[in-house]
Amino acid sequence: MTTLRPFTCDDLFKFNNVNFDPLTETYGLSFYTQYLAKWPEYFQLAESPSGQIMGYIMGKVEGHLDNWHGHVTALTVSPDYRRLGLAALLMSFLEDISEKKRAYFVDLFVRKSNQVAINMYTNLGYIIYRTILEYYSGDQDEDAYDMRKALSRDVNKKSVIPYTQPITMRELRRQMRHDH
Amino acid sequence: MAQQQGMDSALFERRLRPVYDNLEVGNNRKALQESEKLLRKHPNLLCARALKGLSLLRLGRYDESHGCLQTVAEEKPTDDSTLQVLSFCYREMEQLDKIVELYQHAVKQNPGNEELLAHLFISHVRVEDYKAQQAVALQLYKAQPKNAYYFWSVISVVFQGIRGPESALPEKRKIYLGLAQRMVDKHIKEGKMETEQEAFLYLHILKLQNKYQEAWEFLTGELCAKLYPGAPVSMKFELLKELGNWRELNELLQQLLDADRDRWDFYKEYIQSSFELLKLTPQGVENGDKDSLARCQEFLQRIIDSSERKKRGPYLARLELHQRMRAEQLPAEKLIGDFDEMVIEYFRLFGDKSCCTHDIALFLPSISMNQRQALASKLLLESGVTSTSLPKNKEQLQKHLCALQISRMCGSHMDLPADHLLAFYTALKLHYEHGRTTFGKKLLATEMGPSDAYALLAANVMYDLSRRENKSDHLFEALCLLQYVLRNSTSNFHVKLLSLKIYHLFGCQVGAQEMYEYLDIKQIQLDSMGYVHCQLLALGGRFSGNRNVYDATLKFFTNSYKERLEYIALTYRFCTFSKMEEFMNFKERLTNSLQYVACSVEAQICDLVSCYGNITQNLSAYVAMSIEPAEDRIAWHELSDNRDLGAIIRWDPLHEVDAAEERRESFDQEVEVLQVRSLMLRLFASFIDLYHGAGLKDSPAGAETATLELLRESWTGLFQRLRVMNYKPLAQKFLVNLLPTRLHLLLDMPYERFFDDLAQLVLDLQSGSAKLAEQCKRVGDNVIATMELCVQTINESNESNGIDGLWKRRGQQQKVAASLEMLSLYAFLLSVLNDKLQVSSKTKTKKKPVENKVDGPQPISEKERSQMLQELMRQLKHKFEACDTAIRSWKAPVLPRDLSSFMSDMSLKPEVEATLIGDVSATFKDSHELMVTELRNLLKDKIRMVAK
Repeated sequence: MTTLRPFTCDDLFKFNNVNFDPLTETYGLSFYTQYLAKWPEYFQLAESPSGQIMGYIMGKVEGHLDNWHGHVTALTVSPDYRRLGLAALLMSFLEDISEKKRAYFVDLFVRKSNQVAINMYTNLGYIIYRTILEYYSGDQDEDAYDMRKALSRDVNKKSVIPYTQPITMRELRRQMRHDH
Repeated sequence: MAQQQGMDSALFERRLRPVYDNLEVGNNRKALQESEKLLRKHPNLLCARALKGLSLLRLGRYDESHGCLQTVAEEKPTDDSTLQVLSFCYREMEQLDKIVELYQHAVKQNPGNEELLAHLFISHVRVEDYKAQQAVALQLYKAQPKNAYYFWSVISVVFQGIRGPESALPEKRKIYLGLAQRMVDKHIKEGKMETEQEAFLYLHILKLQNKYQEAWEFLTGELCAKLYPGAPVSMKFELLKELGNWRELNELLQQLLDADRDRWDFYKEYIQSSFELLKLTPQGVENGDKDSLARCQEFLQRIIDSSERKKRGPYLARLELHQRMRAEQLPAEKLIGDFDEMVIEYFRLFGDKSCCTHDIALFLPSISMNQRQALASKLLLESGVTSTSLPKNKEQLQKHLCALQISRMCGSHMDLPADHLLAFYTALKLHYEHGRTTFGKKLLATEMGPSDAYALLAANVMYDLSRRENKSDHLFEALCLLQYVLRNSTSNFHVKLLSLKIYHLFGCQVGAQEMYEYLDIKQIQLDSMGYVHCQLLALGGRFSGNRNVYDATLKFFTNSYKERLEYIALTYRFCTFSKMEEFMNFKERLTNSLQYVACSVEAQICDLVSCYGNITQNLSAYVAMSIEPAEDRIAWHELSDNRDLGAIIRWDPLHEVDAAEERRESFDQEVEVLQVRSLMLRLFASFIDLYHGAGLKDSPAGAETATLELLRESWTGLFQRLRVMNYKPLAQKFLVNLLPTRLHLLLDMPYERFFDDLAQLVLDLQSGSAKLAEQCKRVGDNVIATMELCVQTINESNESNGIDGLWKRRGQQQKVAASLEMLSLYAFLLSVLNDKLQVSSKTKTKKKPVENKVDGPQPISEKERSQMLQELMRQLKHKFEACDTAIRSWKAPVLPRDLSSFMSDMSLKPEVEATLIGDVSATFKDSHELMVTELRNLLKDKIRMVAK
């Protein structure tokens, strides 16, 4: 039972019951404000009937030509509001926005070890498109899966033909530079 | 980079690269050397001179930097590189007007240059000059007819109407908004509107003028469908409501809800529109016709009946409809059914979801206390868990938790006798352990335990009991339980927040700091969540240890303060008109954060209290603080309450909780605390400046005395006002309530008299007043009284320790800290007075005595003043020694019970209990020892300071 609405700057003062979750990063202000300024429609918040923030999704749209796509930058749900279908609802919203913007696909990166998330995205129709070596840095660097879901504009589903070989961060950055 | 003086761009870049590189890695000294080397060859290279200014700025050589930058600016540079460096420097120095001037000159020399005009526009944005923005935007549009520039002009006109200096005048506002609309109308007519943000802005302009019909026509028209397909559906709701078109809204919402059955925002609007339609229906509808509420109920029932998979939405909506009908004395029960039965049905279907508690809680205020308690009993029965049984599965466990939480919210725990509460607590512990061992194994480290909420509830219950008995033992036991939960459930931030609260309640700063660090509060959380720790540290028993916590918070605010203008510039760059006002309001909230201002003041006071160098070092540090006693830099009426009070989970009785009132009351008191603290800081600074600043400043003679007297009057006036206001300490009824502010501590301790008398002492010392001896005595008496407060508090703490070492511990530590704060500030003041008086005395002995030609009492001689001061310093040294003796004898808190009695009560495994209680006990002991060590070091520093 959800209210979906745009994430606002004031929500930055109220999202602690979500952001105290260890899997949710609290970024610097410039990170949030950049997304809010550039892709405000991609930043949506799920609110409970009693007014509590239950979760939010942050994303963007970018790329050139047939690489024009929606991207999920962060998706998080409060531990007190899990297993209610909120992640699916937020993902559905982002996919819908991406459809309206005529994107070819939606993608996201997820830790290889995060089986719960991988299962969830798979259930939502995402496939493992490629592996990005050592995408996550930390005590131990970790690979990421780039998962994708084709949208209606990609009639032939070309965007979700998987890579057979993993790519490196450097290759990913080069491709991204080419897209910008 | 642009060419300069015949130098080609490649060469130019190569020469400047070392300076940029060094600046980028923070090697400012090297950057300075490189820029100076380059300038020896090319002394007129403007960009190099600007970079030299930046290097000096980074090195803290502000005066040199200022001079360097000024000379470059006076050259009126036009090349992008130099302008960028100068802009950066002026942003760093908050001299935003100078950036405007820079680009005005550059544009004048290069009229029509798009890039320079764009920079000029942004420079006006930074200073919020909307009128100038408009003019520059139009110039940009003429130079390059891009939509972005046209709409920059439009939004600048809008802001003149709604945010500018004339926005308070309705006729002006109307003119500006009308102009903005005509500008966009023209663009639409010419077929030039391109983006969804432009469409948004047009809708916004129409709504600001209450032109809802025009907005509706545009929103539902062809152009908007093309440009703004993602327009939020809530825009339609808003417009239909303003237009009073409830029927269309009602039908639209039915369509939306048919497609998306779990949207609370849709249900609320739908129900509201049904009530509005009811008002439009003439009374006495024709036989057979159903009114809008009946149709609403039918619709909800149809959704319930036709949904394969049960969703919470329509069930909650039905309860909402029921509640609203009862509120308007309409026959809810007849139309919809029995309220309790529907709640029970909801619980039966969704009670295994952790959100169920707060869903049901939404509707509790609408029924009587008796009905609430009856309902709570029914839910407990429905959960299937009795006083002699345990949950069979995770779903039943969650239902049981939900029923218990609702029960507390209905007030069921309030009148239970103590032995029942204790038995209840024991049961909660058993349930926690059972749930953990049965369902909580093999969890990911990032998951909370399924039964953790039993322990959270138990902690609340034990607080109730401790408060009734005014004893700490039950709450201490709850703290141990919470620490146990934390070992098993490392990511449960609810446990950390409650533990942090209890540690603070008991004055255990080491434990509190540990929890604070465990929460990993950072970035904007330092503002929204800092209240759980930062505001509780001041006068909590430590001084130097607090500084690091303040520093982390202040660093966030300093950085975000610098960045704030760039966020707004970002919205212009991307033409995100829908976010501009929001970003500007956010900037104001951040800048005026109470947390920011309070931390700044406390950090400065902490520095003055903790200073330990020689007089020269201390005065240098003092000057670097840049306190201006004559200026009150705090925008009192704009302070912003950014606390996230909802982050701490609570299930307290709803009829006893008024969250909005608690927020307002606590904020008001915290502002008053800030009034006292900031005024104390300025008053104290005026004492120092009276002696230390006289020879260095250009202020007219007597100005500092006037400032001191004014501040003194403000000081006593503030305390008078506070007594009249008669603030009550914040309610402490529940564990989750905010701890009391320091307001009553500041009023109870002799701050007012202490600093008022110090003000007189400082004035009398300066003038050599005949009343100086009398004033010295008065100040000396205050010192004795303050010392005695400190010693007496420690003695009382030691005496009551055997009975209860924790319940009053925090208050005792606060009194000791407050006493030492006053005495430490006094010590610093005396050291300054002594230093200046000695210098003055030595200087005067070289002069011939001047024959006195003035009638009346002669001022006391420098020598006599110095002697009186020495006597005060001797006295203070003795009092510090007495305080030190008392602190040395201060006993660590005796914890409520020893290990053996705990073991017999707790139901955990013995080895776990022993380790756990040992760890918690060690935390309290460590906290006490650290406090004693720090306070004694402080006293040692002060004794040395006044031992001349």
